[in-house]
Amino acid sequence: MASPTTTNGRSTESPRTETLPDQVVMPLLDRIVRQSLDEDYEVVAGRKAAEARPRPRRAAGRPRDRLSPAKPPPPPGRPRRVAAAVMAVFGVIVTIAAVQTSRDAPEATASRASLVLQVQARRDNVAGLQARLERLRESTTDLRTTVAQGTEDQQALAARVERLEGRTGFAPVTGPGIRITVDDAPQGDVAQTVRDSDLATLVDGLWDAGAEAISVNGKRLTALTAFRNVGPAIHIGITPLVPPYTLLVIGDPDTLAANLLDSTFGQRWYALKDSLGFVYDIKTDNSLTLPAARPRRLRAVRLLTDETKSSAQEEVSTP
Amino acid sequence: MIAAVGLLVGVILGLVLQPDVPIGLEPYLPIAVVAALDAVFGGLRAYLDGIFDDKVFVVSFFSNVVIAAAIVYLGDQLGVGGQLSTGVIVVLGIRIFSNVAAIRRHLFHA
Repeated sequence: MASPTTTNGRSTESPRTETLPDQVVMPLLDRIVRQSLDEDYEVVAGRKAAEARPRPRRAAGRPRDRLSPAKPPPPPGRPRRVAAAVMAVFGVIVTIAAVQTSRDAPEATASRASLVLQVQARRDNVAGLQARLERLRESTTDLRTTVAQGTEDQQALAARVERLEGRTGFAPVTGPGIRITVDDAPQGDVAQTVRDSDLATLVDGLWDAGAEAISVNGKRLTALTAFRNVGPAIHIGITPLVPPYTLLVIGDPDTLAANLLDSTFGQRWYALKDSLGFVYDIKTDNSLTLPAARPRRLRAVRLLTDETKSSAQEEVSTP
Repeated sequence: MIAAVGLLVGVILGLVLQPDVPIGLEPYLPIAVVAALDAVFGGLRAYLDGIFDDKVFVVSFFSNVVIAAAIVYLGDQLGVGGQLSTGVIVVLGIRIFSNVAAIRRHLFHA
């Protein structure tokens, strides 16, 4: 084990000519292989051999060899028993190590396997989540486009609804326009009174001239309004009108009167007015306020399918 | 023969008792086993060489085990436990192989 002992042990067995020790001249692995057997065995064997001879000349100078003859020789049964005891210890150690390892093995394997499974599961999960993220992102983009489209449509529709409400009389409107006063001919006979068809002609002419909203004596006209003569009085729907008739017309005040003259119904109205001698007065007004028409009760509901949609839209946009 | 019986007894004892190794000692048990294996094969070779001595065997056995475990323990404390145990196992493995080769030469004269 210790190098001086080694060198001495070797020199007792076979004296070497080299002066340098083994560990200097020999490569490490070679030395390990060469000295694989504990040198002590050789040392002790050499000592025993020296004891066996009555006068060992070679080991005479060594102090340990001088002491060893004083010791009694070990009983022959002892080495085997001690060796057996050590072997038993070795067996116990080996068994303990093996048992411990095999006891830990399933645990280690199981934990490892479960970790691998967990990793795989998590990886799958992550992949699934990423795919889902992608899908959601795509659908978010789609939805955003849809929302933008919807907002645009909604704004367009709101504008259209506002326009239509103004046009159709479902909302009160305010704006510049003209004020027309119509009355029966003064001191005229019955034939010279203003009749429903006369008013209808004037209103049609105004619509043609570009009127946006018309009211007669505070009654808003819509696409569904009809003038009717019931006896001497003109009725709008079921409301009787009392002359003079005041028409508030919202439109471009600069062009409305001129356009009225140009339109077919307008010319007819002027012809009527001149031949029958109606009182007719037209003034521009910068701010007219027209009330909303009375909401009509819903009478029939029709499901809007694709086919009826276009025709319905046409119906709505016609007035 | 009596050594083989001792080994058998030890194995049986270990199997029957199955003592729990303290957690702190567990990492050093395999290296101790390898060191003990080296000592056992060395002893067997010495026996076949005819120079077996019980005292040398006992001392080499326990010193091998203790030193191997101590080296690995030191390595663990220094943070190079893995490398040191590799070195110990390489050296002990070479010794075991060459001892077994010598035993083989004795047994089979080859």
